[in-house]
Amino acid sequence: MQNNGFLRTALGLYTALFIIFLYGPFVVMGILSFQAGPEGGPQFPIIEWSTYWYRHVFGLTPPSRVAPLPIGEALLRSLTLAFATMVVSTVLGTLTAQGFRRNFRGSGPVFYLVVLGMMVPGVLLGLGMALVADQLDIARTWWGTAFVLHVVYTFPFAFLVMLAIFNRFDKSVEEAAWALGVSPGRTFRKITFPMIFPGVLSAMLFAFTLSYDEFPRTLFTGGSEVTMPIAIYGTFAVEIHPNIFAFGVLTTLFSFALLSTYGILMAMSVRRAKFAAVQEDIE
Amino acid sequence: MLELRRVTKAFAGVPAIDAVDLTIHDDEYLTLLGPSGSGKSTLLRLIAGLEVCDSGTISLDGEDITYSPTHLRNLGFVQQSYGLFPHMNVFDNVAFGLRHRTHNPIEDSSEVDRRVKAMLDLVGLSELGQRMVGQLSGGQKQRVSLARTLVTEPKVCLLDEPLGALDANLRERMTVELRKIREALGVTFMHVTGNEDEALAMGDRMIVLDHGRLLQVAPPDMVYREPDNVAVARFVNAYNILEGRVSDGAFLQDDARLPAAGAPDGKGYYAIRHDAATIHHGSEPPEGAVALPATFVTEEFLGSRFFYFLRLDDGTVFEVERHLSREDPIHLEAGTRCMVSWDPRNALHFGADGNRIGAPAMKGAA
Repeated sequence: MQNNGFLRTALGLYTALFIIFLYGPFVVMGILSFQAGPEGGPQFPIIEWSTYWYRHVFGLTPPSRVAPLPIGEALLRSLTLAFATMVVSTVLGTLTAQGFRRNFRGSGPVFYLVVLGMMVPGVLLGLGMALVADQLDIARTWWGTAFVLHVVYTFPFAFLVMLAIFNRFDKSVEEAAWALGVSPGRTFRKITFPMIFPGVLSAMLFAFTLSYDEFPRTLFTGGSEVTMPIAIYGTFAVEIHPNIFAFGVLTTLFSFALLSTYGILMAMSVRRAKFAAVQEDIE
Repeated sequence: MLELRRVTKAFAGVPAIDAVDLTIHDDEYLTLLGPSGSGKSTLLRLIAGLEVCDSGTISLDGEDITYSPTHLRNLGFVQQSYGLFPHMNVFDNVAFGLRHRTHNPIEDSSEVDRRVKAMLDLVGLSELGQRMVGQLSGGQKQRVSLARTLVTEPKVCLLDEPLGALDANLRERMTVELRKIREALGVTFMHVTGNEDEALAMGDRMIVLDHGRLLQVAPPDMVYREPDNVAVARFVNAYNILEGRVSDGAFLQDDARLPAAGAPDGKGYYAIRHDAATIHHGSEPPEGAVALPATFVTEEFLGSRFFYFLRLDDGTVFEVERHLSREDPIHLEAGTRCMVSWDPRNALHFGADGNRIGAPAMKGAA
């Protein structure tokens, strides 16, 4: 019994430490974002609680010695880039995984080639892409060279998610549709896709979030019009003010909103079956 | 009429279907019996176009469909696992083929409505149209799967162990129902099963398949009474099969010589139906009967009949079936010595190749 109690204490301590390390940075960031401004700095103690830095992020404060965060356009670029990456990677990932459902010749090497995109260190890939672009005289832009690397990076994630989904997929359902005289294309649209949709959502979420805060690849290939992570990094070089923390809290909330949307969509697609059943009972 | 000519398929060099010739007529109930691994599912998938044969041809009403994709064959396929569309209700499952098929889709929703409702009525599911398929019992799923296929009016409906996942009661009911539905629609059913009772009870004709070859194609009573091959006799599970040697027109079983006129010398098989043998304990076998000594092992009660298990002196298990409507049961202690006898005219003889002596040579299998 005593041994058991010791184990429980140890595990409890371990869990507590884990949670502290997981959420500590965010909690500290959250507290400091409410520092008084513009004179308050990114350190304790809190001089006075205020929402000054939140207003500062949105440009609602009178001009001061702290320059506004140069993130307006960067944020828009990051969202656009993440969205485009999400669409392309998810489509590619789904189609590739669909291809891998049949064991074709050379499927082994092709698998590793695809997965390579997420294995190679981002710094090396970014640098390599920058060199290639220079050699071939291609302009480095966030919507060109960086976009390509974002797809290379997120495509394997989308692919692996979809591969796992297809692994569990009951092929007899598709065969049944074909035997009813329905063409494979229409079967995919009407049967396969609705059934794998939860998986597609997961793949989209992966691709979007990975692209949204991608740093090393974008740093080398994004060119002069920077994305959000690069813009934030740029502000570190001068002096750190709590406006960054305020922005961090806002983006985290944005991520939560995104996750919630994902969760709701998931629950809806899962619950649709149950819902219809409940409706029938009412009738 | 569906015709298979020398259809052959191998998986990784191992033959699964070996030069099968088969003609399936219009408006018949065909059952296909084979043990697991005999290639019966492969044969069905080849016909459905879910596998492509290595050689040979398949034609439907004279049209070569060997390499046509599944959705252009106009054959129905009812899977063992049903393969229902989980994100649709029963009505939409059944309507799916009519609405979305490549060839002659039905755009008019009232027409779809009419046909689906008629089909749901036929299979007895008219109340459940709006229910999601996850909410159905096994028997109901089976009916949805069948209705979904039959509503598209296929020329031939292939059924892959359709009763395999049902419990015994339901299985019996569906047996009758399947035949009724088939007769109402006049569509050809090809029903694959690993259960000999099912194959015997349901088919107008019956195919026995083993190791990718057709062993016999005949009406069930023919298959039962006169199996062409010793393997067929094994599959119908109604024969005691003795393995041994024939010499001078007699089958040698231990010291006994069982008359086997016409059987060539050499290795052979001797088969006697379970219900054609009698146990004697304290009574003498009748004149002209063949008798062997045996040891009683155990009995099994099956309601209307008893099964007795005995062991011959060479170790072969010998079963005797006794219908209570004809005779009273006997009760023996395990280990009791007794005799089993039968009329030698009821015995079947098989040659070294397993073929029945006196059976017509297996050909064309029309």
